[in-house]
Amino acid sequence: MSWIDATQAPTALEAALAHRPELLARYRAFYGSFWADGLVPRRVLELCRLRVAAIHDCESEWLLRDAEVNLDADEQERLRAGEVEGFTGPERAALALAEQIPYGHHQVTDAQVEVATAAFGEPACVSLLTALAFFDVTCRLRLVLDLPAEPGVLDAPPLSNGALA
Amino acid sequence: MSTKPRISSAVPDQPAQFATVMMHTPASTGRFFELYAEFWQRGVVADELKEMTRMRNARITDCGY
Repeated sequence: MSWIDATQAPTALEAALAHRPELLARYRAFYGSFWADGLVPRRVLELCRLRVAAIHDCESEWLLRDAEVNLDADEQERLRAGEVEGFTGPERAALALAEQIPYGHHQVTDAQVEVATAAFGEPACVSLLTALAFFDVTCRLRLVLDLPAEPGVLDAPPLSNGALA
Repeated sequence: MSTKPRISSAVPDQPAQFATVMMHTPASTGRFFELYAEFWQRGVVADELKEMTRMRNARITDCGY
């Protein structure tokens, strides 16, 4: 059971944030921008979001899936275990950064950022790093709020309707 | 930790700093600042308490910025 009483909202996270409607609106708008700006491939965002969730052992984030990305069972199993073989080069570059963000941000190397920049370009690398930091924040928020773990397929994870106009 | 910026400035003739690097993604960055401003300008928690926790968080994460 969560520490915070739920309000009416489509997902547990939004129900908690809905105690501050303006905060929820701005959270949605910012978080959804990673999917809306199209700089980082949607599949890469999904891989990294789930890897960060696995590192945190955050089941409420792990159980959410992007409606437009279909990871097969083997990919999901390898993500959970942190095994990157079989993913593409750019995906591995992004996952290498995702691996460091929760507990090893000081160990991120120049070489790792260079590889990611070469794979995606500078604007996309900035978008990716910002998204990774926010994936980490979101898991921490979910865990501290002790939100229930409920499977879901969402348009712009982890929120039900993504960015606001 | 690197001693030089890993991403260039997106603003011509400006050094690579947090704001100028983030301008590679102006739409997302604008929404980040709107969210961040919500914490500081309209939040229900006292400014002193937020500042104290912000500084403590920076120390714990060893973020000298």
